[in-house]
Amino acid sequence: MASIVAAGLTSHAPNITATPDAAPAQRARFLAALAEMRRRLLEARPDLVVMFVNDHVQNFFYDNLPAYCVGVGDRHWAPRGAAGFLKIPQRQVPGAAGWGKALLAEGLEAGFDLAVSHDLEFWDDVSVPAHFLMPEGTLPILPVLTNCVAPPLPTPRRSWALGAFVRRFIDARPGSERVALIATGGISHWIGVPNTGHINPDWDRWVLDTITEGRGEELAALTWEDIERDGGNGGQEIRNWISVLAAVPGVKGEVLAYEPVKEWLTGCGAVWLHV
Amino acid sequence: MSDYALNRVLYEHARAHKMPESIGPDEVAGYDLTPEERAALASADLDALFHLGANPYLIRRVFRRRFAL
Repeated sequence: MASIVAAGLTSHAPNITATPDAAPAQRARFLAALAEMRRRLLEARPDLVVMFVNDHVQNFFYDNLPAYCVGVGDRHWAPRGAAGFLKIPQRQVPGAAGWGKALLAEGLEAGFDLAVSHDLEFWDDVSVPAHFLMPEGTLPILPVLTNCVAPPLPTPRRSWALGAFVRRFIDARPGSERVALIATGGISHWIGVPNTGHINPDWDRWVLDTITEGRGEELAALTWEDIERDGGNGGQEIRNWISVLAAVPGVKGEVLAYEPVKEWLTGCGAVWLHV
Repeated sequence: MSDYALNRVLYEHARAHKMPESIGPDEVAGYDLTPEERAALASADLDALFHLGANPYLIRRVFRRRFAL
């Protein structure tokens, strides 16, 4: 059967690359953590990376807005038009089309009706983490997107169930595929709302503590209201982390960095999960 | 009143990677907007846009220049 050989969680923010001169000390510490995550990821020799991420209203608008979507394209833009703003090169990264189509079909059989896209364009959600973790652009990426930005959102409990389903899917895969799981997003941030720029380090540390202590399932009990109050509208992206935690339940995390970076408007965490 | 048209205006700007200071009447001709929505876009009143139902991520992306950071 296939196996999960690596799992990591990281925040994303456009200003990590868009404002490269901001917060130099915090930036250096956070990027050092991503470099360490990259080292461990490569050491695990994955055949593909399943990335649990969220759209930022660039692929999906209110005319057609999936709760969950799997990207089955042969390649994905990461980034395309946002390259100038993000200050990283426009590029296409390889997809994992066959794997994604199998996940889609198995989900339909198992009662997990994922939406599907053959053509995705990523912003900071995939582009910025991948710029640091997988700069070569050779590892296939299978994106699984959760609506974290246009309420009403799927529940954290459902995101936990999604991650558990992906785990069952991996366990049932024939062959000896080596699968890495990466989630991006969170932790607390308030974006585009009247208190834009607020960060709540106390909540961020609570989230990180649950993960380091192997109690990640507690995050699945959060409500939209809990997260909106304590983690802000950007904190809703924690759903991506919850899905990865569900795929490796009880596994303890190691915080590689936590930096509440005012200039990035985000409480930034990078966590390695010891699978 | 649906906020769909308001978000549609912002989405079209975001997809085109436009980051204007404001969005005036000429640019919203043909959109089914209320006078309040038109005024909020024309003055780039971010709080008003939020309370009118504009998606915060679209507010942030399109009116990025209006934010301190």
